[in-house]
Amino acid sequence: MPVSASSRSVERLARPLPAILPIGLLLVAGAFFAVNGFASARNLANLGLQASILLMLAMPMTLIIMSEGLDLSAGAVLSLCSVVMAESLAGGHGIASALAASIAVGLAFGVANGAMVSLLALPPFVVTLGTLGIAEGASLVLTEGNAVSGLGSGIATLYALDVFGVPFPLLVALATWLATYLLLHYTRFGTYVFAIGGNRDALVLAGAPAWAYHIAIYAFGGLVSGVAALLLTGRMNAAHPTVAIGMEFDAIAAVVLGGTSFERGDGRLLGTVLGVATITVLRNALDLLGVESSLQVVSIGALILLVIVIDSLRKSRRVQTA
Amino acid sequence: MMSGAAAVRLRGQWRHRLAGDAGALALRAALILLIGFLLALASDAFLSTANVLNVLRQASLIFLLAAGLTLVILCGGFDLSVAANLTLSACLAAGVIKSGLPPWLGVATALACGTAAGAVNGLAVTLLRLPPFLATYAMLWILQGLAFHYMGGQEIFGFPPGFRALGTGFLFGVPVPVYLMAAVLVAATVFLRATNFGQEIYAIGANPEAARLSGIPVRRRQMLVYMLSGLMSGLAAVVFLARVNAADSGMGEPLLLPVIAAVLIGGTSLFGGVGSVMGTVLGAIILALVINGMNLLDIRAQWQPLVVGVVLLAAVMVDLVGRGRRERIG
Amino acid sequence: MTRDANDGGGSGQPASPVPLLALRNVSKTFPGVRALDDVSLELHAGEVHMLLGENGAGKSTLIKVLYGAYRADAGTILYEGKRVDIARPADARRLGIAVIFQEFSLVPFLDLAQNIFLGREPRRLLTRLIDHARMHREARAVLDELGLDYDTRALAVDLGIAQQQMVEIAKALSQRARILVMDEPTAALSERESNALFALIRQLRASGVAIVYISHRMQEVFELGDRVTVLRDGRRVATLPAGEATPDQLIGMMVGRAVGAVYKRRRYGTVGKIVLDVRGLTTATGVRDVDLNVREGEIVGLSGLIGAGRTEVARAIFGADAIVAGEVQISGAVVEGGPEQIVARGVALIPENRKLEGLALKRSVQDNLLVASLWKLFPRGWYRAGAAYRHARALIDRLRVTPPAPRRLARVLSGGNQQKVVIGKWLAAGCRLFLFDEPTRGIDVGAKSEIFALIEGLVEHGAAVLLISSELTEIVHVCDRAYVMRAGRIGGELDRAELSEENILRLAMHER
Repeated sequence: MPVSASSRSVERLARPLPAILPIGLLLVAGAFFAVNGFASARNLANLGLQASILLMLAMPMTLIIMSEGLDLSAGAVLSLCSVVMAESLAGGHGIASALAASIAVGLAFGVANGAMVSLLALPPFVVTLGTLGIAEGASLVLTEGNAVSGLGSGIATLYALDVFGVPFPLLVALATWLATYLLLHYTRFGTYVFAIGGNRDALVLAGAPAWAYHIAIYAFGGLVSGVAALLLTGRMNAAHPTVAIGMEFDAIAAVVLGGTSFERGDGRLLGTVLGVATITVLRNALDLLGVESSLQVVSIGALILLVIVIDSLRKSRRVQTA
Repeated sequence: MMSGAAAVRLRGQWRHRLAGDAGALALRAALILLIGFLLALASDAFLSTANVLNVLRQASLIFLLAAGLTLVILCGGFDLSVAANLTLSACLAAGVIKSGLPPWLGVATALACGTAAGAVNGLAVTLLRLPPFLATYAMLWILQGLAFHYMGGQEIFGFPPGFRALGTGFLFGVPVPVYLMAAVLVAATVFLRATNFGQEIYAIGANPEAARLSGIPVRRRQMLVYMLSGLMSGLAAVVFLARVNAADSGMGEPLLLPVIAAVLIGGTSLFGGVGSVMGTVLGAIILALVINGMNLLDIRAQWQPLVVGVVLLAAVMVDLVGRGRRERIG
Repeated sequence: MTRDANDGGGSGQPASPVPLLALRNVSKTFPGVRALDDVSLELHAGEVHMLLGENGAGKSTLIKVLYGAYRADAGTILYEGKRVDIARPADARRLGIAVIFQEFSLVPFLDLAQNIFLGREPRRLLTRLIDHARMHREARAVLDELGLDYDTRALAVDLGIAQQQMVEIAKALSQRARILVMDEPTAALSERESNALFALIRQLRASGVAIVYISHRMQEVFELGDRVTVLRDGRRVATLPAGEATPDQLIGMMVGRAVGAVYKRRRYGTVGKIVLDVRGLTTATGVRDVDLNVREGEIVGLSGLIGAGRTEVARAIFGADAIVAGEVQISGAVVEGGPEQIVARGVALIPENRKLEGLALKRSVQDNLLVASLWKLFPRGWYRAGAAYRHARALIDRLRVTPPAPRRLARVLSGGNQQKVVIGKWLAAGCRLFLFDEPTRGIDVGAKSEIFALIEGLVEHGAAVLLISSELTEIVHVCDRAYVMRAGRIGGELDRAELSEENILRLAMHER
């Protein structure tokens, strides 16, 4: 006869909302009412475009951070992919083959990062710092430090395209979100992202090749960088070798603000999206207020530290009540 | 009962056949001679006095920044913010000197700023218990941002000759920074090898839990080490500022990768507890030789980040092979 | 094949004649230790087979061989009469062998269904996407089979330990496990939860699953077991039907003389003042209201089974873990704080896991020997390598560490010598109270005697020693008196006259 092993049946507990939600809403409201020029249609449209690339970078970064890793090379790789794509276009090739080249480069770096982290068990910070240097160097070498232009109008047109009223970049970004969501929640790969971060041994014991999936997590990041290069190149109709370096910081910030934990295989894509939105809004508002980029970065850095501390306080409290 | 899940296997230990630390240093010295030999073959300009002194000067700059990082890594931590710390400290010092105040005040400012930043790192790691990589990464951006803000996109240049001598001057034919390098080398080595603090730092880096259970005040020592590293960043900032005679908010950034590479090439293990400041000197010289070589061979400056990135990864992997480590199945 | 001379005798065999799994003359050796020595065992479908033995008797090695973490060096394994090779966990899984571990293998932020099907997620045919509906349906079915009404969408992290264990069992079941191995499953459960678990086990037994159940609780052995196998020193002592055994008989089989030299205590100290006085010690790590004391010149044993809380007591005394209630007095003064403060009072801890907690393996013997006494040897802070070398050399000679090379890395030393270095670390610090946690684990016989001689020397010079050991012979022959812990509390105290292995085990195991 059925026996319940506990006095109450186990239900799915409501996950506490990430702290970013109220903070983000507050910021948006603040910007809306208090900052001149924020609420204009043009500015908001611009915001969406700005957020697109960041959103794309932040999606795989969420997975990487969930797996207890980090990718400092994302921005540099994105720049490199953009350079590769631009060189290809400037050389007369079509958008499709340029995109293919870009993706290939991104994948190569992703696999390299993943292999060093997964197979050699090297610390992700140091590994991706090294590949950051390599990617940055490669960009500089390929371009001699100059921008690559003369790409024709194809890619810029694509960037400016409106699909049923939705700007193309936003579409691509949303598609990336959707793809990441499907991967995370509907494929084995996604399940194993949780496992690698939360209890890698369990995965190994279950017989799955954890090492391969671990590499795939970073490879996915490289792949998305390759695609995001499309937006980056299209936006300026040119490629600057180091323009996107530093974007990984915003991406990491967005993920952390969104509530994804570094330690337990807990991830929230929606949280990351909110984080991206918050950071974009914050930067835009501060721009409009005349605060320069450097202080923006300082405040984001401080915000990250704050959220990490709150996160760990909550974590310890939760463990006690469980 | 051991977690039954992953059978942990120790990969075969490749031990240094040469007697421990001394052997490792000798290996690096040999490498330096090798690179020097190759460069001498490849370029006539290499062996000129001016060039050799230049290499030493460059190595000193790298070393001054890398010395503090060495201490932190030996103690089991890490500091990604050393270069940004240098930038901010140098910019503040530049501002102080340029505004007419005596240069020694500028030096004091740099040292104070560096130490303060180091203290924040230390607090983040010991009090907030943040992982060192993460905490110092956030600090990197914070310090960088503050430097950008302070400089407002401008450059500050033109310092009094007395101050400049710290970076460009010669003393008995040897560049001043080399003396500083020697002084720091001696001081750091004495600290590590001839004080109880040094012994405790190695112990913490080798096994923090065993150190704690041996009665060592782990957190206090970690705090000390991060502050010392900050102090070193401040010192390096002064020398760097004197050398290039200008301050801008991007000055420290290209140094991060070479500095980390120098520490790792010098034989200090990423995992802590093993290594020496002497090794970092040799590592700095190797990096300086690589950079000098690229200049002499007319390899464009754009290649440098790439080469250093490769060197960094190679150093990390050699560190791995040399030490042996646990391997996961799967 | 069904019966052989090794079968401990007696009838009461379960229904099926061919054993589900049979181990024949299985041995497993590690450097210096014979963990399993010619062990034969049979498991029948639909039985609960209890596995008893002291710590170190070979139970966990046996389990690891069963599920493929270790590969047997000798002997054969037969599955339903056919010879099989279990070289990897995958092999064991294929045979339907599942193990419920004490550390749980659930992924915290996946839900129960995902955890149950980890590695075998059902996918839709065409898109290859995970079929959540089916996964939850089947998970629901498995949970229902076990009578568990958990929501399959609950996250593993939200479950309590008992519930996680149930999910582990569900996971094993869903893999059509025919042999379930459970290692002390009730260690973390309340009585109510244990009863629920037993009901589950009976259900499983009725459906033909063979269950290997390791337990230290006598009551469970008789309440649940069909047959009992006793291991001792890596050998199988006996297998008998539970109905035919008595607790004393089983304890007698678990204990017993090990072949080889038994250590004889030679030197004693003069018992003096109380050095360590623990009252009402309670911690978050499972220690409950422990009172004990140790005097100068005596070796006091702290015995009990694994998980009883002995290490936790030592760590709490040493300040390594926080104290929730109660107090610790050293030489009459209450002490608080962490290891730094406790060490300053002259207390030493020789931890259970010497490699992880006692030594810095990548440092030299000299460095390890002096690490706790730097400020005693060099009060002004100036470390002098020459003096350090001489101090280390003196310690090495006194302890007879081989090789007698202060500059060798600690990792190259044998276990026994490493342990001497750990002890030596505290000699240099001049400690008066020594907490030894399993000092002779994993050490060969010769080194064991040396370690005990060292300990004797300590008390002879007036130090106080608290000795934690899982080897009953050690406690009986080395200690002046002993406390026995049971489930976080002191189960009892035995003085010199009462000190015997039987008495210790009796106090250590649950008797209700």
